[in-house]
Amino acid sequence: MNKHTAKVGWLLASPYLIYSAIFFLIPLFWALYLAFTNWNLISPEYETVGVQNFIDALFSPSVRAAFWVTYKFMLMFVPIVIAGSLILALIIHHLPRWKGLFAVGYFLPYLASGVASAIVVKGVISYNSPFNQFLRDVFGLDIDWLGSPTLAALVIVLMMAWKFVGYYALLFLSGLESIPKEVYEAAEIDGAVGWKRVWHVTIPMLYPSFYTVTILAVGLMFGIFTEPYVLTGGGPEYATHTWQLEIYNQAFEKLNAGYGTAVAIINSIVTFASIFIFRKLLEKWGGRHGWE
Amino acid sequence: MVGSKRWKVGLLYVLAFAVLFVMVFPYLYMVLGSLAPWDEVDRKLIPSSLTLRSYEWLFQGGEDVVPRPWLRAFFNSLLVTSASTLLMLVTAVMVGYALSKVTFKGRQWVNNAILFQMFYPSIILLIPLFLIVRYFGWYNTYWAMILPKAVNLWAIFMYTNFFRSIPDELIEAAKMDGAGHLTIIRRIIWPMSRSITTIIFLFLFMERWVELLWDMLVVNNEKMLTLNVLLAQMFGPYGGYPGPMYAASVLLTLPILILFILFSKNFKEGMQFILK
Repeated sequence: MNKHTAKVGWLLASPYLIYSAIFFLIPLFWALYLAFTNWNLISPEYETVGVQNFIDALFSPSVRAAFWVTYKFMLMFVPIVIAGSLILALIIHHLPRWKGLFAVGYFLPYLASGVASAIVVKGVISYNSPFNQFLRDVFGLDIDWLGSPTLAALVIVLMMAWKFVGYYALLFLSGLESIPKEVYEAAEIDGAVGWKRVWHVTIPMLYPSFYTVTILAVGLMFGIFTEPYVLTGGGPEYATHTWQLEIYNQAFEKLNAGYGTAVAIINSIVTFASIFIFRKLLEKWGGRHGWE
Repeated sequence: MVGSKRWKVGLLYVLAFAVLFVMVFPYLYMVLGSLAPWDEVDRKLIPSSLTLRSYEWLFQGGEDVVPRPWLRAFFNSLLVTSASTLLMLVTAVMVGYALSKVTFKGRQWVNNAILFQMFYPSIILLIPLFLIVRYFGWYNTYWAMILPKAVNLWAIFMYTNFFRSIPDELIEAAKMDGAGHLTIIRRIIWPMSRSITTIIFLFLFMERWVELLWDMLVVNNEKMLTLNVLLAQMFGPYGGYPGPMYAASVLLTLPILILFILFSKNFKEGMQFILK
């Protein structure tokens, strides 16, 4: 290690260092200051207001809505996406041929822009669409999909599930491929075959994949913006009002920059706490199956 | 026994194709909607005839009263995404090389800083980032969409890990032959990382291409909008023109799909590294 290599090292790392100074460190401290002001993004005059923004946020109906909507989404999204991606992974894993082809095909939704998929969803559930006509003619059902809070939330959740299920399936697939053959052979001797084998051998062996997918899925629910922004605008009755939508509305529609930053900080704390709790729960569940 | 197994495999394929159909259906619906006669869009699943009217209407600027620059938006998206992705890729290779193959004091410190930053919630930075961009005078310029997205921590992390798996002897031998660091990167590191580069490129390009929130904040001049933002803005106003909206969606989806298909040969190999 000499002076010259040290210089080269810092020089090659410099894009990261410069970038982080401007686009990470400065905004980081600026945010911590902004959150305690009442700045409205435009006027040159503003003052510090202490923790008032945080207190206002905790009592704000829209922040509370974002808080609960996220868990409501999670309650639907996590089971759907885990069951779905596990099934896709099992299908791909057991196919004798064209595994790669199907894996790639199932991954395609991940490439879609949320805006484009919102346009398709809007068309598919529009009043005169073939889908709704079919529901009316065959079942006599006349459903206003985006008019009902529960259904609107379900539509957003299903859009997210469609997008991510093929991606998460790849995680389960790599988990499935890493289970040694001997484990299955030993299980067969013990009489575990068919669904019994899936339930008692495969699923417990997949614990690391479950762990990763659950944490990713939980984290994802705190970062939803595009789909509700385009399709529902957060409604009806705040039923699809996510954290990011709330922060965007406060800071850039109502121009409450200080308050919006405070909400962003609260959002981050809630996110960290939720992920922490999920990790602990998963580790407890894994511990019972011999995973540390 | 053999008969029953064959039956099971057949059922598995039926299931596999059914799932594939569900995954691809929205894309098919989009393409059919963009090509259908206007009175059949969202009314019939399979149009009775095909027409390019939606695309023509779109390329002429859409509604006569306020024409929109749809092609320009497509070009903007291409420019911003390509520039941003290339910068992210080049900087990630440089930094990744420094952090894995050059020993210097403070390297571990930089590594830790990157890890910390990766898990730092970026939503907190959104408002101050916007203010910085406005302060620099980048509001309504391409710079606002490119420079704050010129470095990607995940890509640096991936390259650092990948370069660690390249044996040091190769690099030492090249140094003996008098090769400098840039030559080593160009001649040894870069060719060896082709499969992971295609996947990293694909992910970076795609994520940049579908970005909505940031591009929406820093640009309001119609000529500078990306296609994704323009499409999101027209979602309500063009509610009565579903056909052209599908045509624009096809335009928005096609580049990523083409890239993905070009790179799908390396997909499994590259993904295996990324998912590890």
